[in-house]
Amino acid sequence: MREKRDKKDKKKFKRFAPRSCRFERLGVELVDWKDVATLQRLCTGQSKILARKRSGTSALFQRKVKEAIKRARYMALIPYAGN
Amino acid sequence: MYPYEAMFLVDPVKHTEDAAATEKVVSGLLEKHGAKIHKFERWDERKLAYDIKGHKRGVYLLSLFEMPGKNLRGLRDDCELNETILRQLILRLDTDIPTYLAQCAKYQEKTREELESRRAARREDEDREGEEALDDFASVQE
Repeated sequence: MREKRDKKDKKKFKRFAPRSCRFERLGVELVDWKDVATLQRLCTGQSKILARKRSGTSALFQRKVKEAIKRARYMALIPYAGN
Repeated sequence: MYPYEAMFLVDPVKHTEDAAATEKVVSGLLEKHGAKIHKFERWDERKLAYDIKGHKRGVYLLSLFEMPGKNLRGLRDDCELNETILRQLILRLDTDIPTYLAQCAKYQEKTREELESRRAARREDEDREGEEALDDFASVQE
């Protein structure tokens, strides 16, 4: 029983990225809404914005990511939904 | 005078017919409203993520300019009325244009570096522990 739960916990942990903000690590000031490749990596396959828990982005940069993704969506650089 | 960044999505059909004239339409509009253009750049024609006004493809024009704030409304209205421009996004910048360009360049360089190193790391992982790395890859993709 005990073993089973440990295994489960381990699996759960693995799903989440480590808690280090990619943008803080890189030392950048902004999130460029024109850089499609990076923005797409912050979206799910269905083009939903990745939660902070999943991507590890800090609160400050998550706000910038949100803004950038919405701008890119408006300009049809990335889809609003689906592929 | 405030610094602005604007992206225009123009009709690809008109652009292939006469690229210079189409770009002139946009730069002409900017100049008409008293914009001092710092940078004017064309992106290659690309596929749109979704249809806009019946178009599946489009040409993007990116411009950085300075313009008096009171002309912004007029510029937006003119863009809306213009048939060549399918969509536009005009943003006022927090910083001046050279700073913004520098920040963008830095961002591009850093993210490119990261992408490369991640790719390299992934390749190494795959060599070492085939199945587990694939699992990780799947969760990252998700």
